[in-house]
Amino acid sequence: MISIENISARYAGTLVVKDVSAQARPGELIALVGPNGSGKSTLLKAIAGLIKHDGRSSLPESSSVRAKNISYLAQNSTAPNLRKVKDIVALGRSPFLGPFSKLSPRDKDAIERAATLCQTSQLFDREYGALSGGEKMRVHLSRALATEAPILLADEPITALDPYYQISVMNILRETANDGKIIITALHDLGFANRFADRIWVMQDGHLVKDEAASTALSSEILKTVFRITPNGQAIA
Amino acid sequence: MLSIVCLLAMALSLFIGPSNLNAGEVISALYGGAAPSVNSIIQDIRLPRAALAAVVGAGLGASGAALQGFTRNPLAAPGLLGFSACAALGAVVALYFNADAWISPAAIGFAVIGALAITLFSRRKPGAAGLVLAGIGIGALATAITGLIMNLAPNPWALSELVYWLMGSLKNADGSDLLIAGPLTGIGCLLLCLSGSSLRVLGLGEDTAQSLGVSVGRTQILIVIGCALCIGSGVAVAGAIGFVGLFIPHILRFLTGADEAWLIPLSALGGASFLVMIDTLIRATSGPGTPLYLGIVTSLIGVPFFLWLAWRQT
Repeated sequence: MISIENISARYAGTLVVKDVSAQARPGELIALVGPNGSGKSTLLKAIAGLIKHDGRSSLPESSSVRAKNISYLAQNSTAPNLRKVKDIVALGRSPFLGPFSKLSPRDKDAIERAATLCQTSQLFDREYGALSGGEKMRVHLSRALATEAPILLADEPITALDPYYQISVMNILRETANDGKIIITALHDLGFANRFADRIWVMQDGHLVKDEAASTALSSEILKTVFRITPNGQAIA
Repeated sequence: MLSIVCLLAMALSLFIGPSNLNAGEVISALYGGAAPSVNSIIQDIRLPRAALAAVVGAGLGASGAALQGFTRNPLAAPGLLGFSACAALGAVVALYFNADAWISPAAIGFAVIGALAITLFSRRKPGAAGLVLAGIGIGALATAITGLIMNLAPNPWALSELVYWLMGSLKNADGSDLLIAGPLTGIGCLLLCLSGSSLRVLGLGEDTAQSLGVSVGRTQILIVIGCALCIGSGVAVAGAIGFVGLFIPHILRFLTGADEAWLIPLSALGGASFLVMIDTLIRATSGPGTPLYLGIVTSLIGVPFFLWLAWRQT
């Protein structure tokens, strides 16, 4: 289990995450939802240790230990266009490698498992720049899963994907959580959050205003006060 | 393959020069078995010059590959990010005060001071964007001060000395230059190679790289110090030589498909081969009068490539 207590974090000098406390258990897929600018990405970066924060967390302090325990999938992930897919996925094992060391059989097994789960094995010899948006996201997800870290933080992994790849990526996240990993993913699509997540964290203006089972978290009141929409999907003026 | 090309280029350069020497004389002179004058030509002039061209080219190539990898910008090069301008300023200061013996220490010292300033100014924003902004700013300042010193040159002869020096040349290279530039460039290249595995991960973006355990700040320090040593010592012995650090990594990336880590040693070998060949070409085509300057020839070849690259980017 991981826990964060009273986490506050700044982005570009502005306090964006305010006094957030929460817990996550192995096997849980948590959807982090909230309007634009509510602090979702900054909270994920704070948990990943990518930005400084106040407050306490049960996560490792050392960056090398953290890299083996937390995988982070950035929003708008990128890679050099000429790089082969297999080389990108292999970078997921870099926390376990020295500057000049080669992949061990254990590393290769982890890469193969991630590639099989994300169906990227057939893309291995293609260049990154030649892939579609959906294929690129699956490659990045393979890279993140190849680390085999017990925690995966994904920042809006399905934004800008077509419905097929959205469902495909969410299925992979669900399956990974079922294997005992902790998955926290920022999402804009409340329908996907409700359908795939075990729990939903709702952010508003830097505060975590709701932490509840997915089936009950998105109440009419939350939709109205946080998202300014009605349960019928109408925007509130 | 590139190592063989580099060795062949160096070997070829020993046979080319104003004195016509046959193969037997050149080979004998390498171990001191030829006539004293021939021994001197090979051991004191051609061999140090070829070795220095290789050392300077290796430093430029490796620095360019590392800077392009770190900034994830194909237009990054030591000349554009201020390293060469700072080193050149140091040498120009020494020349202005007629302190020829201080050219090397001043060039290396100013390159290190420039590197520290770049690091200091990019501290608030570690990473590619900070390094590019700080490098361009510090480089522009160094270029402006170099211009001011030239503006204040006491007489036309002093000015022409500064101008010729800035064009870059290995015509006065000797063994003592090699003793300065060789070890410093070697250490610089080693530091740059050590940053290679981090550069490979940085290709995925700074946040992702950091999440995989890469320290962006530590990588930046390795690269800044590595470039300062390579470029400072190179400028100290050969003057300002442009564009090698820009187009050698590009050509090799295109030809070999190597990633950021492999591109550093490959670009070192490529830069060494290229500069030895260009210097040999200059010596082969030199006649009476002012010889062609190395920095001019590399730029004449490099600028069209740069423009083509910029056109492709847009």
